[in-house]
Amino acid sequence: MTNLVPAIWVELFKARRSKVPLLTGLGFLLVPIVGGLFMVILKDPEFARHVGLISAKAQLMAGVADWPTYLELLAQAIAIGGLILFSLIGSWVFGREYSDRTVKDLLALPTSRSAIVLAKFVVIALWSAALIVMITLVGLVIGLAVALPQVPGQVILQGWITVALTAGLAIACITPIIFFASAGHGYLPPMGVAILAIFLAQIIAIVGWGEFFPWSIPALYSQGENLGNISYLIVIVTALAGMAATFIWWEMADQNH
Amino acid sequence: MSVAIETDNLVKRYGDVTAVNGLSLRVATGEIYAFLGLNGAGKTTTIRLLLGMVKPTSGEARVLGTRIRVGGKKPWGSVGYLVETADAYPELSVRENLEVMRRLRPGTEPQAVDRVIERLGLTDYADRRAGTLSHGNAQRLGLAKALLHDPELLILDEPAIGLDPAGIVEIRHLLLDLAREKGVTIFMSSHVLGEVSRLAQRIGIIHQGTLLQELDINELERNRRQRLLIRTRDNGAALDVLQDAGFAPNISSDSTIEVKDRLAIERPDDIATHLVNAGHAPTMLDVEQEDLEHYFLRIVGLEESDVG
Repeated sequence: MTNLVPAIWVELFKARRSKVPLLTGLGFLLVPIVGGLFMVILKDPEFARHVGLISAKAQLMAGVADWPTYLELLAQAIAIGGLILFSLIGSWVFGREYSDRTVKDLLALPTSRSAIVLAKFVVIALWSAALIVMITLVGLVIGLAVALPQVPGQVILQGWITVALTAGLAIACITPIIFFASAGHGYLPPMGVAILAIFLAQIIAIVGWGEFFPWSIPALYSQGENLGNISYLIVIVTALAGMAATFIWWEMADQNH
Repeated sequence: MSVAIETDNLVKRYGDVTAVNGLSLRVATGEIYAFLGLNGAGKTTTIRLLLGMVKPTSGEARVLGTRIRVGGKKPWGSVGYLVETADAYPELSVRENLEVMRRLRPGTEPQAVDRVIERLGLTDYADRRAGTLSHGNAQRLGLAKALLHDPELLILDEPAIGLDPAGIVEIRHLLLDLAREKGVTIFMSSHVLGEVSRLAQRIGIIHQGTLLQELDINELERNRRQRLLIRTRDNGAALDVLQDAGFAPNISSDSTIEVKDRLAIERPDDIATHLVNAGHAPTMLDVEQEDLEHYFLRIVGLEESDVG
């Protein structure tokens, strides 16, 4: 793994200079904003109907406007929306080298290919973590702004831990998806795989096998489902398999792009 | 003779398609070697094989003494390359693209970036986003990336593509200087024989994956066909005179007499004497050498008539 630190510098630099972090940031901002909006609606449905936030026919979901409900809502949004946005980040970090046809310049260097791949994974992790920190802060501000009823700090902390762990599970699950950015030479194949994974995750969760399907697990966790260790193990194995496949592909496969 | 690149019976197949078929070549250290072929002849696949980007189906390649394997780390610190098109990160400037490459080539000093920008004539574009560069300047940036770390060996795929005529001359001089003054070995592919004949010492011609001919630049001169073109006021009578003198002339399409006999080409003055003595003094006498394009097409088995 020669020259890892400069490789990380390079990947961070490329990410910083692109517009994609901004776009994913805006995408993630929707989570607390929509969460806050629901809280406003739940707090005073009549007012929401009056100002046109919801239609008169709206069937409101069960729930009350409080911190635990708000944070569970955020965790659930991240379990699904996060999968898409984290996949987008990973697809961009790997896929852009194919779309911009720059991958060939990374293949015969004194910096090993594994260092470049690891640097890309590090950047995906840092980028995803930064987005989680951002929505934690924005979510907190929005939660305070809509004046959710006061609860002990412990309850809020517990809620945020669930949000963060849901995000962690979702991030871990995307490595097999972003493998397809390398194997499929661009952004589109992994995004197709992401949509397929989320679709299957819904169906498999409905039929009750979700705890064994990696892409169902973040959503089940966010809903407070009591998952066994096997579910966490499946997520870890999935993450490692996706990373290993990407490393092997970069090191061993014919590179014709 | 030390060898910079050596391939031994290199074969690369993609399914039923044989991209490179039994390629064995040697490039001496300090030599400029041109690898010539039509589009799809196997030039880029050969370059990818040399750079360890694709696995050979059989055979092996050695570059700067290292046996190449896919994903290997050596000898890339001493090799600069440009494969296929010159591409760069479009949102980064020329300087930033080179800085990225510098970081990935440890040991390259920071000043190398500005030096190579100046050397490739990119100073005015240094802060321009790579995505806004013209073809020619994008190509210069691609070459700058290859030259950044003062490599011992340059592997360049069509280095002149996209450059204007002045740019082509400039890059030719740059490459010649590198070879002469710094002893850099240059392996370059091209599909234009005329271009590489002014630069390369040795030329390998590849067609449909097979190396058809390897020759040095003097051999190229010798191998090109020559013919003597003659015009007189009465070509029919002149033809008879030449036939009687033991030559094998024929009338070419534009009513010019064409003689390919070696004696005629070497001694056109004797031909003139024959014709003058017979009362058919030539109005034109011209020893014409087959141009490089025709030579190339003849070697790869495509005469001019085949390509329209």
